[in-house]
Formats: sequence, structure tokens, C-alpha cells
Amino acid sequence: MTSVARLTKAHLWIAFAAFLVACVFGIWQMWARSPLATPYVIAEHYFLSVTAHGVAMAFVLTTFFIMGFGYFTAETALDRPLPGKPWAWAGFFLAVAGTLMAVAAILSGQASVLYTFYPPLTGSPFFYLGLVLVVVGSWIWCILMIVAMREWKGAHPGAPVPLAMFATVANAIMWLWTTVGVAAELLFIVIPASLGWVDTVDVGLTRTLFSWTLHAIVYFWLFPAYIAFYTMAPQAAGGRLYSDMMGRLTFVLFLVYSLPVGLHHLFMDPEHSTGFKFVQMSLTVLVAVPTLLTVFTISASLEIAGRLRGGRGLLGWIPALPWDRPMVLATGLSFVMLFFGGGGGLVNMSYGLNALIHNTSWVTAHFHLIFGGTVVIMYFAICYAIWPRLTGHEAGTQDAQRLQLWLWFVGMMIMSLPWHWLGLHGQWRRVAQFDYTNPIIAAWGPWVTTSLVGGILLFASAVVFVWNLAALRADRKAPVAPFAFATAVHQPARVPASLNGFGLWNVLVLVLMIAAYGWPIAQFFVLQPPHAVVHRVDRGG
Amino acid sequence: MSVESEAEDRPWQVRASVIVVAIVVVAALLGFVVLPVVQGRSAGVDAFSAICRALGLQAGSPAVRQPVSATRAEPVSLVAWTEEVIARLHNPNEENGSDLAANICASCHGADGVSPDPAFPHMAGQSAFAIYKQLHDFKNGARGNEIMASVVEQLDDEQMADIAAHFAYFTKGALDPTTPVTNDPAIVRLVERGITARGLPACASCHGAHAGGPIETPTLAGQRHEYLAAQLRAFAKGERRNDIYHRMRDIATKLTDSEIEELAAYYAGIGLYQRIK
Repeated sequence: MTSVARLTKAHLWIAFAAFLVACVFGIWQMWARSPLATPYVIAEHYFLSVTAHGVAMAFVLTTFFIMGFGYFTAETALDRPLPGKPWAWAGFFLAVAGTLMAVAAILSGQASVLYTFYPPLTGSPFFYLGLVLVVVGSWIWCILMIVAMREWKGAHPGAPVPLAMFATVANAIMWLWTTVGVAAELLFIVIPASLGWVDTVDVGLTRTLFSWTLHAIVYFWLFPAYIAFYTMAPQAAGGRLYSDMMGRLTFVLFLVYSLPVGLHHLFMDPEHSTGFKFVQMSLTVLVAVPTLLTVFTISASLEIAGRLRGGRGLLGWIPALPWDRPMVLATGLSFVMLFFGGGGGLVNMSYGLNALIHNTSWVTAHFHLIFGGTVVIMYFAICYAIWPRLTGHEAGTQDAQRLQLWLWFVGMMIMSLPWHWLGLHGQWRRVAQFDYTNPIIAAWGPWVTTSLVGGILLFASAVVFVWNLAALRADRKAPVAPFAFATAVHQPARVPASLNGFGLWNVLVLVLMIAAYGWPIAQFFVLQPPHAVVHRVDRGG
Repeated sequence: MSVESEAEDRPWQVRASVIVVAIVVVAALLGFVVLPVVQGRSAGVDAFSAICRALGLQAGSPAVRQPVSATRAEPVSLVAWTEEVIARLHNPNEENGSDLAANICASCHGADGVSPDPAFPHMAGQSAFAIYKQLHDFKNGARGNEIMASVVEQLDDEQMADIAAHFAYFTKGALDPTTPVTNDPAIVRLVERGITARGLPACASCHGAHAGGPIETPTLAGQRHEYLAAQLRAFAKGERRNDIYHRMRDIATKLTDSEIEELAAYYAGIGLYQRIK
């Protein structure tokens, strides 16, 4: 067991408790949108549920998982104790307190503004202050990750930082940049409005600041999955990582290109000019590069493993892989979902095509498939890989783990592929109920019902997952081998200093952010556009 | 394995910076110059304007023609919720409001905003925003009523704000639409959930606590039965037209006569009187 085991487990249990509850809300929402009679369905309940589902999945599950996994990685990859462990616990309790504040505000119906806020809608200040505490807790994590890497570099002058830790710190630095937008939105505009200090808000500015955060936050969630691809999957498959350098390049490219691209979430908004939207779309295209690098590198790594296991011929290495191992299975399933989800994403980020699917279920389908599918299935696999090290218990059989991963994959495909189809047919997102007596909408019915079946499979998978983690305690206690991250086939003899730290990349992020967001934000202060009246959901409209 | 020195790393820094900056420059040339000029040409927009539009320095899209008609859209209401108007409603001249209300309004709407005549609506229970909107609309002709038009003719914006604030006993959040006073479940359902198949949203989605209606949405709880029914009929016939985006006209035309009566009874029955301080 590692010395951060309790810390990591505490984070992961909070993450997955929120996840399980959020799954229940998710199923109910799909039920409400289906032609089937649904209990408790009025619009007010629906938007409360959407808010709870979004906050639990996007803020609580992710942030706590990433923090917990980060602490584990820092200690395991660097092979030294985590510095500032009391601070880590302080960050944890801060984030827990914030979560409880936000949950109380949501469940009492005082914050049904969805997790993306949508000013001038304004809810209870407890909701926003709670989320600020979660973010502050995560900032402590960021600083501890940076300190851990710096101390390690001090103790190992001239040595390359292990890839898993390099990636974790890349994520921490990206998260610090990412949260600037939403922090400015909350602290300077939304929270003053929620406290009644101002009566109007500049909606264009708030949307722009949120867009700063909105795309990069997705990469914050994605990083652990990519860390697993590079540093866990090759090892689990019985091979080695094809290229360490490719991993480093991938992670710095994510850092550089996930930030100056948020305007692609505002293609249909009137407050920005076509030129800036085009520039940010062009930069968005580059975010595909690290993903393509990763698909190539990990496929190559798995090919090495498959051939070492006796696979022959052009594709013979694929069946030779140990698909019975959860990490390998999850990686394969994750890549299939990445193929569909990434393809959908290319449509979203195209300035012209975006208009076709704007505000439809296509968008919901895309982010569920990419985040809920590609990313979260790797969260499961990571847990299965590290849980024995955290608990000292080894699972007797991995049947339940495999079942759970397959259920998640099948459920996600059955749920999200119909949503893509429905989006192309114009089904709106963020709408509680549909008029199924309308012949056009009636044709959607079977697809919506099919997606509900997918949702039920996902919920079953979620229950099995939590059961698997809890049940491990009852499994045999066994001496567990020390955890080791994958190493590369040819560890590079020398690493460029730029790929062993983040100074250069921080400067480039700054340059890109000034180019991409300078005028789009400054215009609100120069042009002084009209504001919108604050619309309170916690005190009656 | 080791890390290169800073000097050895220089080519990395230079190449990465050049590539990143070059991509931005190419994207900017395409987005701010090439595409606007080409698209602007086919849309009849000159090159300079097209580039300024692409930069956001001029309004409009470089790919869209200038409007050829100078006809202005006619808004149904001239009320604008500016910071000044909101500030005045929050900080009224109370003495002025009280005097004006006593002299002009009390004979029909009651000194405390509780109307003695079923034909006239209660003011008590309405927000300042709701009252101000209607006074302003009467004055500008957006809402037609001979009596009210002559009453508000003499009032300026600040006086109307003072009167509105005077009568604003409650915010509309005081409304509790979940207390049904009718036994007809169809009406309760209409209020709470709407009827999707008839395109009728829930009344409570705008007129209720935590509701999504605009700031000027009036409170219905405790209002006069006769007044509510008359307004719904006026919206249905198109005689009243000061509802932005046709919201109430669209809804009222879909209601049956008996639904109008029952809805008016439902809302009129909610206990406003106990709430008056």
C-alpha cells in the first residue's frame, strides 16, 4: 500500500458516490424526454435534475478523480513521498465542503441554472461559492503537483521527469490556466449578481469567459485517460510504450491548444465577429493532432505487445492481445468510442457544419460519448489497476470487471448513437418534454426509447463498478506487487529541456490567449454593449 | 538518459515558437482578410468594411448584404429595463409615490392596492416591474384602455416608477401556485405542467416561484377573477397586444372558454389577502 492510499481512496470514493447519484438523475431525464409516462416530471424538476447531473458528473466526479489519481501518480511515478500532504487533505475537505454547499443549493431548487450557469439566470450564492471552493481545492492539488515535480527535479538534476508525472503536471498547469475564465466570470459577475449587488450582467462577456474554460476543462477530464493509454495500457498488454517523446509532445500540445479554442462553443453567438471565430476554429483543428499522435503511438505499442505474444501477419497481433485484462479491454473499447465521438466532434468544431447540429441532441451525444465513454471507461480501468495497490486486496477473478466494462461500452453506444441521429433530425437539447402527438416528433419516439435502454445498461454498469470496488475488500488479501508505469521501447537517450518542463509552453499559451481572446474580451469594455436583467431562479422569476 | 542543456534546447524553442506563431498568422490572414474580402465581394460589401466586420470593429457579417429596407421594426412595448429604470424602481421617491397613489389610483385600486371593484385589478401583490411595465404601456399606447390612458397621460417615467414601487408589496416570488383551490385536476395540470400536445406551457413556468418568466411577469395569485378572465379573452381576441413575442396571445387563443373561467377562478382563489402586510 502506498502512503497516499487513504488520500487517494477518499478522493475516489467521493468521485464515484457523485457518479452513482448522477447516473440516477440521468436515467430519469431520458425517461422524461421519452414517450413513456414518467413520474415527477415538470420542467422545474427536469432542470434541477439536469443541473445536479451536470455538476456531479462534470465537476465532482472529474475533479475528485483527477486529484486522487494525481496524488497516487506523484508518489508512485516519482517514487518519493508526496510533499505537503496536510495541504492535500485541506484541499480535499475544502472541495467536499464546496460540493455539499452546491448540492444543498441544487436539491432545494435554488440553483437550477445548469452546470454551465447561463447568466443572466442566477441561483443561490451558495451554489457558486460551493463550486469556487471545489476549484480552490483543485488549485491546491495543482500547486502540490508542481512542487512534487520540482522537488524531484532538484533531487535528480538532468534526469527526465517520468512521463506519467510530466503529463499530470501538464494537466495541473493547464487547469490553472483553464480556471481563470470561469473564476473571473463567477467572482466578478455571477456571484455579485447572486448576492443582489448588481441588477444587470453583460451576457456576452460571461459567455466569453466561460468559453475560455469550457473546452480546456474537457481536456482536464481527458488527461487521466491519456495517461493510462501511455503509461498503463502498454504495460498491461505485456509490451512497452512505442515512444516516450510522442507522449511528451501529446501532452504539451494539449496544454497549448486546448485553451485558445473556446469560441468554437459560441459559433452561433452574435457577440463575436466571424474572424475571431475562424481563427479559433483553425486552432481547434490542431487539438486533433495530439489525439491522432496518441492513436498511432498506442496502436503501435499494442502491436508490439501483440507480436511479442505471437501475433503474426498484418492484423494478427490484434487477436493475440490479452483482451481479458481490464486495462487492455478498456483501451480497445475506449478507442472505438473515440472514433465515433471524435468524428462527431469534428462536425461540431467546423464553423459551417456546426449550424446544422447547434443546440441539438447531437451535441449531448458527442460529449457523452467522448467524456462518458472514452474517458470514464478509462477512469474505471485506472481504478481496477490501482485499487489493489491502494487496498492490499487482489480481485480473485476479473469477470465482474470485464462485465462492467462491456456493459458500459454497449450502454454508451446504445444511448449516444440514437442521440446523434435525433440531433440530425432536429431534436433539441435542454428540453424537458416533447409533444409526441406531433407526427414529426412521434418519429423520434422509438429512438429516444432505445437510448433509454442504453441508459439503463449504463446504470447497471455503474452499480457493478461501485460493487467491484467495494467487494475487493472482501477478496483475498495478497502481497501486491509495487505499481510500475510503462516504459518506452527505446527510452530516448536525451530529452529536450522543453519537453521536461513547461516554461516555453506557458509563454506560448500566453501568446495564443492574447491573440485569440484579447479583443474578444476587450471589446466588452471598449464597446459597452447593453446588459441583461438578472433573472433569479431562487427568488421567483 | 538525460535532459539537454538550455543552449542545446534553443532550436526546440525557436522551432516550436515559429510553428505556433506561423499557424496563428495564417489563420488570421484567412479569417480576417482573405475570406472576408472574397465573401464580402459576392455579398456587395467593400473590402475595408468586410475586414472591419471580420474583426468585430463594424457590425454585421462580411458574408451578408447590407439591409436594403429602412423600415424599422415596431416593438409591442417601449419599456427598456435599463440600469437607470431598475435603480429607480429599487430606490423610489416614496413620498411622491404615496401621494400620487392616493390622489390618482386609490379610488379604483384601493389605498392599499386591494381593489374594491371586481372590474379593477388589485395592485397589491404585483412587483414594481409588473406595474411599471403596464403603466408605461398605457402611456405609450401599447396597451389600450381609455381610463388608464387618461390617468397616465400626466405622469412621467419617474412618477410611474414611484407609483409602481409604492404598490409593490410583494415580489412575484410570493406566489404559490402549488396550492390548488380547484378540484379539477385538468386545471391543476394546466397550471403546473401545461399540455404539450396543445402547445400550452405550464402557467407556473412563468407565473410562479422559481419561474422562468421575464422580470415584468405579473403575479396571478389572488388577482380578481373578472379581471383575469377579461384579460385572457382580450389576449385571445387580439384586443390586448402588449405581450412581447405574442406569448400570452399564443397561449390564450388555445384556451377554451371554460378553461379561461376555471384558470381565473383558480388563481383568484389563492389566498392573497392573508399575505398583505
